[in-house]
Amino acid sequence: MSHERIAIGRRRVVLGGLATAAALSAPRFAQAAGEPIVYGVSGPFSGDRAAYGAVWKKGMDMAVDEINAAGGIKGRPVQLIYQDTQSDPKQSVPVAQKFVDDPKIIAELGDFSSAASMAASPIYERGKLVQFGLTNSDPKFTKGGDYMWSTAPTMQMDAALMANIATKQLNGRNAAVFYQASDWGDTSQKVFVEQYKALGGKVAALENYLLTDKDFHAILAKARQANPDVLVLFSYYTDGALLLQQAQDVGLKGRILAATSCYSNKFLDLGGSAVDGTVMSVLFFPDDPRPAIQTFVTNYQKRYGEKPDQYGARAYDAVKIIAWGTEHGGPTREGIRKAFLSGETIPSLLFGSFKFDGERRVAHYDEALITVKGSKFTYYT
Amino acid sequence: MTSLLDPLVTGLINGNAYALIALGLSLIFGVADLVNFAHGSVFAFGAMLGWYFAAVLHWPLPVAMLGVIVCTALLGVVIERVAVRPLARAPRIAPLLSTVAVALILDRASQLIFTPETQLFPNLLPRAAWQLGDIRISVTDLAMLGVTLTSLLLLWFFLAHTRLGRALRATAQDRDAALQMGVNAGGLEALAFAISSALAGIGGVLVGMYYRNVDPSMGFAAGIEGFAAATLGGLGNLPGAVVGGLLLGVIESYGVTWFGGSTRGMIAFGVLVLVLWLRPGGLFGSPNAGFTEPMTGTFFGRGRPVTLKRWQLAAIVAFAFVVLPLVANAYVLRVATIVAIFAILGVSLTLVAGTAGLMSIGQAGFFAIGAYTSALLVKYQAWPFWLALPAAGLLSAICAAVLISPVLKLRGHYAAIVTLGLGAIVTAAILNLPSITNGPLGVTAIPPPSVFSFVIVTPRDYYWLAMALLAIAIVVVSALQRSHLGRAWRAIREDEVAAQASGVTVASYKSLAFAIGAFVAGVAGSLLAHQYMYLNPEIFGVDISVLALTMVVLGGMSNIAGTILGAIVLVGGPELFRPLHDVRILAYGLLLLLLIRYRPQGLWIYR
Repeated sequence: MSHERIAIGRRRVVLGGLATAAALSAPRFAQAAGEPIVYGVSGPFSGDRAAYGAVWKKGMDMAVDEINAAGGIKGRPVQLIYQDTQSDPKQSVPVAQKFVDDPKIIAELGDFSSAASMAASPIYERGKLVQFGLTNSDPKFTKGGDYMWSTAPTMQMDAALMANIATKQLNGRNAAVFYQASDWGDTSQKVFVEQYKALGGKVAALENYLLTDKDFHAILAKARQANPDVLVLFSYYTDGALLLQQAQDVGLKGRILAATSCYSNKFLDLGGSAVDGTVMSVLFFPDDPRPAIQTFVTNYQKRYGEKPDQYGARAYDAVKIIAWGTEHGGPTREGIRKAFLSGETIPSLLFGSFKFDGERRVAHYDEALITVKGSKFTYYT
Repeated sequence: MTSLLDPLVTGLINGNAYALIALGLSLIFGVADLVNFAHGSVFAFGAMLGWYFAAVLHWPLPVAMLGVIVCTALLGVVIERVAVRPLARAPRIAPLLSTVAVALILDRASQLIFTPETQLFPNLLPRAAWQLGDIRISVTDLAMLGVTLTSLLLLWFFLAHTRLGRALRATAQDRDAALQMGVNAGGLEALAFAISSALAGIGGVLVGMYYRNVDPSMGFAAGIEGFAAATLGGLGNLPGAVVGGLLLGVIESYGVTWFGGSTRGMIAFGVLVLVLWLRPGGLFGSPNAGFTEPMTGTFFGRGRPVTLKRWQLAAIVAFAFVVLPLVANAYVLRVATIVAIFAILGVSLTLVAGTAGLMSIGQAGFFAIGAYTSALLVKYQAWPFWLALPAAGLLSAICAAVLISPVLKLRGHYAAIVTLGLGAIVTAAILNLPSITNGPLGVTAIPPPSVFSFVIVTPRDYYWLAMALLAIAIVVVSALQRSHLGRAWRAIREDEVAAQASGVTVASYKSLAFAIGAFVAGVAGSLLAHQYMYLNPEIFGVDISVLALTMVVLGGMSNIAGTILGAIVLVGGPELFRPLHDVRILAYGLLLLLLIRYRPQGLWIYR
């Protein structure tokens, strides 16, 4: 387990971040011209998970426009080809083949769900096309082959970190854990429980649910019996908010620690007062004083009239990182992979200047601990 | 301490929503003899409308509720006019299919109108709650109960004490007799759709108020639960629908409390199958309710048959096996491979649904058993693929024969809902048996298929493998259809009683059809596992079962060629519409609707 790779605390100003900011504020060159550089995006732009796809598109479009406004990559504009898969493997597999067969496409981003991403991986691997997972926290994703890269912290790292936060920062000794019965929820829960017990905590209740569930009263009432002092959620923001509201209904109290996937403005909207006090550890936080982040937040807000959430930031960052790979390794499939392999100081919004480790994931994460106060996210102090 | 009563309250509240949905489904079923797959989507649309009126337009609760009632009632009338009435003389399975298309269209339209985001439903009621001993009851709880009861009472009054209501009941009881008595049955059907859709809309608003959040894709799961609740109470029986809904809610609530949230589906459908086993007509339906006319059978083949000359057939085969793999690019071959895999799944159901007349909405379960068997044997036991493939089929067949045995006596919609339950139970079992299946983690790095020492890697080889197996499936299934066995199955399909009287042991033949169908589905699953190289339980949802049935129905029920055409349209269609981007799924739904409208007997009919 490699959870020690995550450091936690307030953001340090990192050189890489400054470099990105400088690039952003550079004077605009003439609009990029010439043969476009094309990346494929495979994601849920319709269907049950379309909400995530919509946010991806916002972040990605913005990154592309910024790159092109600044002269593109060595004078060539960047273009994205979006393909909707509904995050259904039946559709992501042919889309993978479509991308692999299109010689113009030199890198791919997505998909969203494990099933859709990992069923497509063998095809990307065979086609020697980088499959860049924005949100693939399943450690098995990058083990699918040499062309699977991801900037998402693995669920192992996240869950182990949460166990540390639960014991140290929140001082919880008796945890009630709620998790989605999915590959992500189940893996996270196991890692959390193991680590939490190792740190001397006791797991008073361990309850799972289905992603489609709207009613959590039954498991919440059961957990209330165990009198937990900390509630731990491996949930997405919709089910997380719903679960906490119902926790309030049944009178289940305790400090709340939620997985980073709950970090969304929707979590605040949907959860109202019930999510007040929820603590989470996040990769991206718009109040982060680093200039690069502030520039991104301001531009995003100007463009879309709302603050970016982590999915928008991750999508934006993913395009920028691939563009960096293209610029440094050359505009070919192999070039991008080589640039990732050898890059020691890859600039990024979220990780500052970073390098990929042997598992083709980010070697070091610097996360911020935040909490909900008065329906707003603020730093946890 | 939690009392034993806590889950009861929760269950009753949840059950309320199920009851409202089930009530509408049951009403439509009674009047139009149709399982309305669009009902869940109407429910979700109502919830989104309610959100829009209350949160965006800031209408007060009564006005918003009224707005939703009017809009969903109109929506119901439109659905009836556009998707159901034109098919009045079509085979009885056709409108079912067209409601599937309506559901697709409605869900996607709702996403485009309201955005796919989950939305916060405004707090329209005070959030006060009372503590009664161990139980907490809130204003919303009471409102839910109140609205359900009021709706029920109004509906009861309308049905029992008005002329229109009486006509509606008469139509439900005997459509032909009602017609002869001068009842405008068509208009009443529209009325039934209006009322039940309004009920679904009310349900949507209530669920929105209760859970405080709504999203456009919440309809499918709700529709399935409602369907289960309606069947539990006895399809077509209105008080039964309410009791069924409440009961289902309570059972689920206790089940989840005792066994965990991921067992919800298994418990709900387990109880359903159990009840139908003991009482084939549901709790309140007449025990003979299951013994209505078959859904397919005598309604076959009204359309102009399509016949293929020998050379045409040869040309198609040559195209599929030789020309396509040589000229098509890898993307087309990937799509074609997936189409072929789903075509095998469809062919498996042709035998069950088309030939033997057992509408199965659970084929995804046997597809899943095959996929997992093959994946686990090859990955962990180092079996060769060509041995694991038949093993996958065999285990699927055995499971099917065992699972179907208690419910063989069921017919028509009851048999269909039981298979829906069996499929859901299998998928839920895979989720809840992590020691065998890895549970929610799924199986990764499944080795590619190999035939003896030849490992299949390229898209073309995959395609040939899938096509070879499809060809074998076609040959076997069509030989079975033509055999003595096929005749016995068709006899059962046309008239079970007559078949039994002529010495056909109905139960054994049915279970044989089911087992053979499951074998073929298992083979398809094995192929899928080694194509995706990754499996998890999410891949085998009820939507896949519905897809399989849709292929068969679209193809003309008992016709293999038609089923394959159905697979091409249904699995290939979304790929074909790729250039349309946002409206892709909308266009696909419309295509489906039009196909059924103008070819209600299926794309392909032969004698």
